[in-house]
Amino acid sequence: MSAPENTRKGGYSRRNVLAQMGLGAGLLAGTGLLSACSTVSTSTASAAGAGGSGGAASAGGAAYDAEIKKLVNGRTLQLGWTPPILSEWYDQMEKAAFGRMAELEKAYGVQWKWERSSPTGNFDAVEQQISTVRGWTSRKFDAVLVCTGANFATMQSVYRQAEEAGTKVFQFNQPVEIYPEEEVVTVSNIGYDNRWQSGYLAGNFIAKTLGGKGKIIQIMGPSGSDWAKARKIGFEQALKENPGLQVVGSADGGYVRDKGLNAAQDLLTRNRDVNAIYGENEDMALGASQAVDAAGLKQWDGTDGVVIVGADGLVSGMDAIKAGKLTATIDVGSVDQGRTFIDTIFRSIVLGETVAKIIEVPTRVVTKKNVDAAKAYIQGNMKPSKTY
Amino acid sequence: MAASSSVANASASRWGRLLQNPSSGALALVMVLAIAMSVAFPGFATGVNAGNVANQMVFVLLLALGMTVVLITGGIDLSVGSVMGLSAAVGAYVILSGVPLIFGLVAAVAAGAFLGWINGLMITRLGLPDFIATLAMLGVARGLLFLWTNGVPMNGYMLPEYYVIAGLQQPFGFITVPILLALVAVLAIAGMLKWTSFGRHAYGVGSNPQAAQLSSVPVTRIKVQAYVVSGLMAGLTGMLMAGRTSTVAPTMGIGYEIAAIAAAIIGGAALTGGRGTAFGAVVGALVLSITANAINISGVSSTWQQVVTGMVLLVAVVFDRVSSILRDRSTRLKTRLAHT
Repeated sequence: MSAPENTRKGGYSRRNVLAQMGLGAGLLAGTGLLSACSTVSTSTASAAGAGGSGGAASAGGAAYDAEIKKLVNGRTLQLGWTPPILSEWYDQMEKAAFGRMAELEKAYGVQWKWERSSPTGNFDAVEQQISTVRGWTSRKFDAVLVCTGANFATMQSVYRQAEEAGTKVFQFNQPVEIYPEEEVVTVSNIGYDNRWQSGYLAGNFIAKTLGGKGKIIQIMGPSGSDWAKARKIGFEQALKENPGLQVVGSADGGYVRDKGLNAAQDLLTRNRDVNAIYGENEDMALGASQAVDAAGLKQWDGTDGVVIVGADGLVSGMDAIKAGKLTATIDVGSVDQGRTFIDTIFRSIVLGETVAKIIEVPTRVVTKKNVDAAKAYIQGNMKPSKTY
Repeated sequence: MAASSSVANASASRWGRLLQNPSSGALALVMVLAIAMSVAFPGFATGVNAGNVANQMVFVLLLALGMTVVLITGGIDLSVGSVMGLSAAVGAYVILSGVPLIFGLVAAVAAGAFLGWINGLMITRLGLPDFIATLAMLGVARGLLFLWTNGVPMNGYMLPEYYVIAGLQQPFGFITVPILLALVAVLAIAGMLKWTSFGRHAYGVGSNPQAAQLSSVPVTRIKVQAYVVSGLMAGLTGMLMAGRTSTVAPTMGIGYEIAAIAAAIIGGAALTGGRGTAFGAVVGALVLSITANAINISGVSSTWQQVVTGMVLLVAVVFDRVSSILRDRSTRLKTRLAHT
């Protein structure tokens, strides 16, 4: 087991990311191993990929497993999970989490109770999440998992109250990287760096594909959202490094398809000579793809056409890549996040280990070349042996 | 004295009538915006962009038409965004079950009309305030949609004909099927308001329900019918949106109720009931769509879209106040002249 402290990342070096981009396929194979492991794996997926044994037993072997089972002693963990919205993305993550919970239950006899609560309005309906977390705290949940669009400082005070009442707080998919790490009061944050593992990757993919030169349209999420802010930092760094790229238009697509479609359609009327469209999430990128078709423009076929890049890693997005309706997407690891946060909770609460405050799962650029593997990886996790 | 003022009246009457039309303020505003945009951005005043705006405004327009009918009867329908999403899901589900496309499309529209009918019954039979009943429907329909789909969008129902119906394929240039449907809807609602007994009664029910009741207008039936029309329009919108985006996300239609109400109000409908026209809904939807389009094209931060939409709404309502004061004054003048 690697020391958790080693996985802390003050700043993600860009060179590292570039190297990872090149090794995309390798990483995919590595995380595949993680899913094959049925018992405790190290808290970061990448570490498991490097050292994963791929066998049924954990790195500790059968004797270790038996000892852990004794420690667990049939304990029941009550978890609460609150994503900012129910969506395909969070559905993938939840199913992956169920799969990991079932594995740990089988191996070590740990029992799980799972409660889900999500605002059904929109990303801004955060009061509901705050009261959900407070309710779970007063019901003495062992751990709550939160991803929210709520104000950072507000949430830290909510978390502090939860910790005082004995409920451990974990965040997932939350762009904590744009805040000072010491101000984040949760036990751990399982996600990825939106700057260098998403926005920067997308910018670099466009630069590479176009040979460092071209006109780009951006369809962004609602201005002010932490995800949009963080991804923008990375995307703009990629632009800075590739001065031949020029952003000719930018509009808000509200993270939804119809607005993404309208925004792309409007921007295309002024810029029919555009070379690439960056949709900050997949739904908007797919809307842009429809706008490109409707405008009678050609989509990227490997040599020319409009390059369209999204970010999420949804099965529906992968189907679009297969169908040639999306050039690439940044898969930011729904499955790995789901599995990793369960592992992190198990090791931190049940085994009492110290976990890293910031845990980043691998992300990858998915193109036609590796889409089958990326899709198979998610679909392999979509039918967990048990749901909670 | 009487003669000279009637001459002045005649020359001013054309302007006067224009000024008294509730939606002309908004129309003037949008013309100014369009002219400014055409000068500043060469891509704006093109046929392609006009086609884009026309295709984008269909959705708000259809909802605004239904909303106008409800507003005329003195009600308000907050549920149209949720009803639109749920109807779209019903349509997609029916198509996915393998029956011919037309059943799916009809099912979506019927689902919308059905939910509208429930709204109407809650308001008339249970006596719930319009605001509360439709607010409840907003929550229930959206919640059901999330429970049903577990947040996962519905896909894979796009049959080839659906692309044409949804306007993604354009066999007749920018005149798409949704635009034609919207045109039919505008004419139908305009005709209904003008020439049917429903239309005549609707204004009466909205401006003075007690008087309407006393003069044996079937108030309950009129109100229920208005909500059915609004629900039907929401179902139609959902059906078209499901085609346009080729996916039914459970978030579909969130916020559209506000756009629909804004469009109807900009078009001269009043929250106090008894006023509104189909043409006004067209103007309102056009104002909102051109504003959104201008903001996208000019690259202005989209946060401004909310500010601008709010301002347009404000200007439209203020203009409406001023023109109604003018209208009052001219009728008072006319009665005074008639008495001299």
